[in-house]
Amino acid sequence: MDQNNSLPPYAQGLASPQGAMTPGIPIFSPMMPYGTGLTPQPIQNTNSLSLLEEQQRQQQQQAQQQAQQQQQQQQQQQAVAAVQQSTSQQAAPGASGQTPQLFHSQTLTTAPLPGTTPLYPSPVTPMTPITPATPASESSGIVPQLQNIVSTVNLGCKLDLKTIALRARNAEYNPKRFAAVIMRIREPRTTALIFSSGKMVCTGAKSEEQSRLAARKYARVVQKLGFPAKFLDFKIQNMVGSCDVKFPIRLEGLVLTHQQFSSYEPELFPGLIYRMIKPRIVLLIFVSGKVVLTGAKVRAEIYEAFENIYPILKGFRKTT
Amino acid sequence: KIKFFFPFSLDALPRVTCPNHPDAILVEDYRAGDMICPECGLVVGDRVIDVGSEWRTFSNDKATKDPSRVGDSQNPLLSDGDLSTMIGKGTGAASFDEFGNSKYQNRRTMSSSDRAMMNAFKEITTMADRINLPRNIVDRTNNLFKQVYEQKSLKGRANDAIASACLYIACRQEGVPRTFKEICAVSRISKKEIGRCFKLILKALETSVDLITTGDFMSRFCSNLCLPKQVQMAATHIARKAVELDLVPGRSPISVAAAAIYMASQASAEKRTQKEIGDIAGVADVTIRQSYRLIYPRAPDLFPTDFKFDTPVDKLPQL
Repeated sequence: MDQNNSLPPYAQGLASPQGAMTPGIPIFSPMMPYGTGLTPQPIQNTNSLSLLEEQQRQQQQQAQQQAQQQQQQQQQQQAVAAVQQSTSQQAAPGASGQTPQLFHSQTLTTAPLPGTTPLYPSPVTPMTPITPATPASESSGIVPQLQNIVSTVNLGCKLDLKTIALRARNAEYNPKRFAAVIMRIREPRTTALIFSSGKMVCTGAKSEEQSRLAARKYARVVQKLGFPAKFLDFKIQNMVGSCDVKFPIRLEGLVLTHQQFSSYEPELFPGLIYRMIKPRIVLLIFVSGKVVLTGAKVRAEIYEAFENIYPILKGFRKTT
Repeated sequence: KIKFFFPFSLDALPRVTCPNHPDAILVEDYRAGDMICPECGLVVGDRVIDVGSEWRTFSNDKATKDPSRVGDSQNPLLSDGDLSTMIGKGTGAASFDEFGNSKYQNRRTMSSSDRAMMNAFKEITTMADRINLPRNIVDRTNNLFKQVYEQKSLKGRANDAIASACLYIACRQEGVPRTFKEICAVSRISKKEIGRCFKLILKALETSVDLITTGDFMSRFCSNLCLPKQVQMAATHIARKAVELDLVPGRSPISVAAAAIYMASQASAEKRTQKEIGDIAGVADVTIRQSYRLIYPRAPDLFPTDFKFDTPVDKLPQL
């Protein structure tokens, strides 16, 4: 276990916690060690008393922060160790080594912004009924498959669409309908829109590498037709992935609890449209259990979004 | 600002009280424009504008317009305190000049600031009138439109589209949802555009609406098909049971309702074809067929126990 030897600066002035904690109602609970009621606790969102929801929320937060916050967890461990005992009781780090995840998940339920993770975790004893959301049990084992990548590239020179359309194979150009040449290649199976400004949009690839390769192939075609084509600013604009959670989902329940993110209108679209805030991904969730994720710029966002949504979907599994 | 005082109303304004009797409720005498303390008779406030009639009319015939009414009975809540009036068309012969044109042509609008809003209110009233919506839904729609209009977040969208979407939301909020197709039928806007505006308005006003259920539409569809109450109740029961037993996952509640009505009507004396039900519900008859196929296997379980079958369950049409 890697531990940072030097305590970060914030851990030293722990009498006054970071601004992420509101100096609100001190929580005096028989579960908490004596004296903790005096420290400001983050105001828990007690609107819903459902344990399942709380678990889901924590698991969601946990999964969100997990990958990035490994290092900070280590620092928190040290912070906990430094705080819980001033001088003695070095046994506590052993116990707290078990619980940082609990602290982590609990504090993070109230810290909306990942950048302002409160570093003074509430010293909740392990007796509190919060499921320790260990990462191993939460990974779904399902990996979303990428279905479509949309990318753009600048060929760097003005193009004459008419000559391209006339001389290139598999190119269509209908200026009255659309002001670009639509070209297709078979390997990788993609379609490109080539504009007269020299910019090009490449769609249909199944992976980032394939998208780049296809864009290069189109650029080569244009080059062979006599234009001084370059390959500038290749950027992936959108990635679409899909997967199957293998169980039916109660969309009505999901829209009730996640109202601010979900939109489910059976008259308009049979799936539930879930707009996740972090990462900024739109998910289409269907009754059959199929999930489509879109709006990602990098592959990791798709994976992260699915890991976030999977525990929530498990909570809304249809039982019959 | 002119405040309207109604006689004998409770004076809730804390600032005007009788100095000797602060607890006394002041009585407004609108004829003289005073506010009088009932305990001691002190005139507390004066110069209150009299909003009573300017003159009294005694004529029995109602043919002539009542000259004591000045201005339209517009609600100030919605139109920014509308006190404007317009010069009407001339009635006598003197109002026309030599060519027959009316002398006073200036019908320029006075409430230019909210012209679009008044237009939209008129459109909303027209739309609601076509499907016989009660006044409370129209008022709610007007309120929603005013909120959206003032927010200006959907400024680029056609006002008619926003109005149609507001009407849809108002019906939903009042607990009597109308389908998008029903709103389309009275509006010139496409279902796609109304759907888009609907989602945008929900986001802009930060509200949400309840999910539609099959029971919301039963009474309307069955009445339009002239089905008796027994059939309507049976159809409601069938649809509810079908959703509970999860026989129709992922189907729109409208389609399930239509299929339930079909099943109930086919089992009773008042049979309706799929096409008729599809026309009323706004559902394609193949869709009704699909949903019917899903509920058909469990038909005996879906009917209410006290239903009188004109056609027994096993003789129901199988499509």
